[in-house]
Amino acid sequence: MTAQRTDWKNRQNRDGGWAYNKGCSWTEPTVLVLLAQSVTQVDSESFAAGLRFLRSTERVDGGWSPQPAVAESTWVTALVALLPEEAIGAQRLERALTWLEGQTGRESSWSFRLRQMIAGNEEKYPVGWPWFPGAAAWVIPTSLGILAFGRALSRGGNGKLRERVELGKEFLFSRMCADGGWNHGSNKALGRDGDSYPETTGIALAALHRGPVPAQIERAKTAARRHLATCRTAEGNAWLRMGLSAHGESVHSQSEPAPRTTIDAALIAIASAERNPLLS
Amino acid sequence: MTLMTRRELFTTTAAGLALTQCGRSPRAAGVSNVSIVKAPGYTMEVYDTVYRLVAEHKLNVRGKRIVLKPNLVEFDPNTAINTHPIVVHAAFEAFRKLGAAEVKIAEGPGHRRATLDLADAAGYFETVPRFEDAFTDLNLDSVTKRAILQPVSQLKSLYLPHTVLDCDLLVSLPKMKTHHWAGATLAMKNLFGLVPGGVYGWPKNVLHWAGIAESIVDLHHLFPRQFAIVDGIVGMEGNGPIQGTPKQAGVLVAGSDVAAVDATCCRIMGIDPARIEYLKLARGEQNLSERAFRQIGEPIQAVRTRFALIDPWRQMIQAG
Repeated sequence: MTAQRTDWKNRQNRDGGWAYNKGCSWTEPTVLVLLAQSVTQVDSESFAAGLRFLRSTERVDGGWSPQPAVAESTWVTALVALLPEEAIGAQRLERALTWLEGQTGRESSWSFRLRQMIAGNEEKYPVGWPWFPGAAAWVIPTSLGILAFGRALSRGGNGKLRERVELGKEFLFSRMCADGGWNHGSNKALGRDGDSYPETTGIALAALHRGPVPAQIERAKTAARRHLATCRTAEGNAWLRMGLSAHGESVHSQSEPAPRTTIDAALIAIASAERNPLLS
Repeated sequence: MTLMTRRELFTTTAAGLALTQCGRSPRAAGVSNVSIVKAPGYTMEVYDTVYRLVAEHKLNVRGKRIVLKPNLVEFDPNTAINTHPIVVHAAFEAFRKLGAAEVKIAEGPGHRRATLDLADAAGYFETVPRFEDAFTDLNLDSVTKRAILQPVSQLKSLYLPHTVLDCDLLVSLPKMKTHHWAGATLAMKNLFGLVPGGVYGWPKNVLHWAGIAESIVDLHHLFPRQFAIVDGIVGMEGNGPIQGTPKQAGVLVAGSDVAAVDATCCRIMGIDPARIEYLKLARGEQNLSERAFRQIGEPIQAVRTRFALIDPWRQMIQAG
């Protein structure tokens, strides 16, 4: 545990943030390390510096960009909204949730739907979240949006958040692969089935942990177990364990891949925690 | 029913106009040298072959910073998804031997986030000594926003990784593959891996909305100093770039005019390059004929290996 705590500090950049592996600070690894610290042992100096980095990079529209050189709020805002309210601050959290509420995949826009209607395409496009404004909705940003809004609802959020959570779940089920898991969201290309990935299967399962459990979940758990047996990445392994444990299945894979990056190490710490800060 | 806002109405109209726009001016093209060499397998001979390929193009690389951009896509080691590590290492050694000050390997996969694990599974750690020191994950590199001054796509700008913006020569090292959205994925399409997933996500969907073929051309124009070596020793046919099947073509194709290299690869694969949208946009249909290039080494007929295509590409792009 001590080694892990020391490691976070040693990997921390001078601006208080963390890189994925080496180089400049990014929002995603910074949030995940702070969450990892919160379930292992908080190094108060390092934790405070990490929070200062995040507070300084909040954008005027209430969202967060992936790294300070990017002048656009993106999906990482959902990750920031998963930090404890007392850490990030109630007002910042509210602004982040409001920004997220305004984000949908481009396929949900009126202009796109009108073009599809004119072209005679009657396919339905459930509402999810994009990685980047102006692009389509995908599995990882939608899963994180569901988790962030689910957390807000547990604190007593409004009905709009609930509606987006339900729409997000509908999106995830619509993008489930034929093998029962998820890839980024292309479950078919030119009529051919796409294969699912470990990390996306794990994160989607984790996002579907609240509320009623439809029959598809059993298929998804089977796919997750199958991936876990062969998964070669620490990130995938950690998300699969989180996804399965979110549905009451405590899993210890036979051989866990070694972490290569900061987010690998952070996700392993989070997945190994008794109380998962992403799910609680 | 909710009515569209004026902004949405404007966007719809503008997008419609953009889709029907014509008269895009392709880059002027002269006669380019394209090398074709037979390479029957991934053996030690590849090192000598790649060195000779690069040397015969008389590139001035002494003291220059070179970035090698392979195509890393998936973990499956039993198929031909990724550029073979021997081709990458051979290029690494060739540019060092020719006096480059620095040779880096860089890639930003479009689907899988764990790039180092992917490189490991593809055999890069095993083949390239101290691979991690030479490698940059372009999905997670520091970035700068670059304006696209005369966009062919709907993109106005892109955040791009410093590693590739700062290099003197970008060397595209793709796998010779069919592609279910673009017809064929070769040296130009390989440039999608320059766009940082850390900013735009996985897959790099902003490029799809801006137009796949058009975005390929915009990226191509953003990097005027390029060289390409296409790994066609074992390529992929059918439902590429991921779910296709390996296809032995036994060939390496190289040159500084990357569009010419791609057009030559298409001919080798039995694809009509004039029906590949991004090649038409990059070079103009009239500049894609066989006579527009000077072939060095093997003639196309000697290495032609017809790649199977899925529908609807079979009808659209297969050469007669």
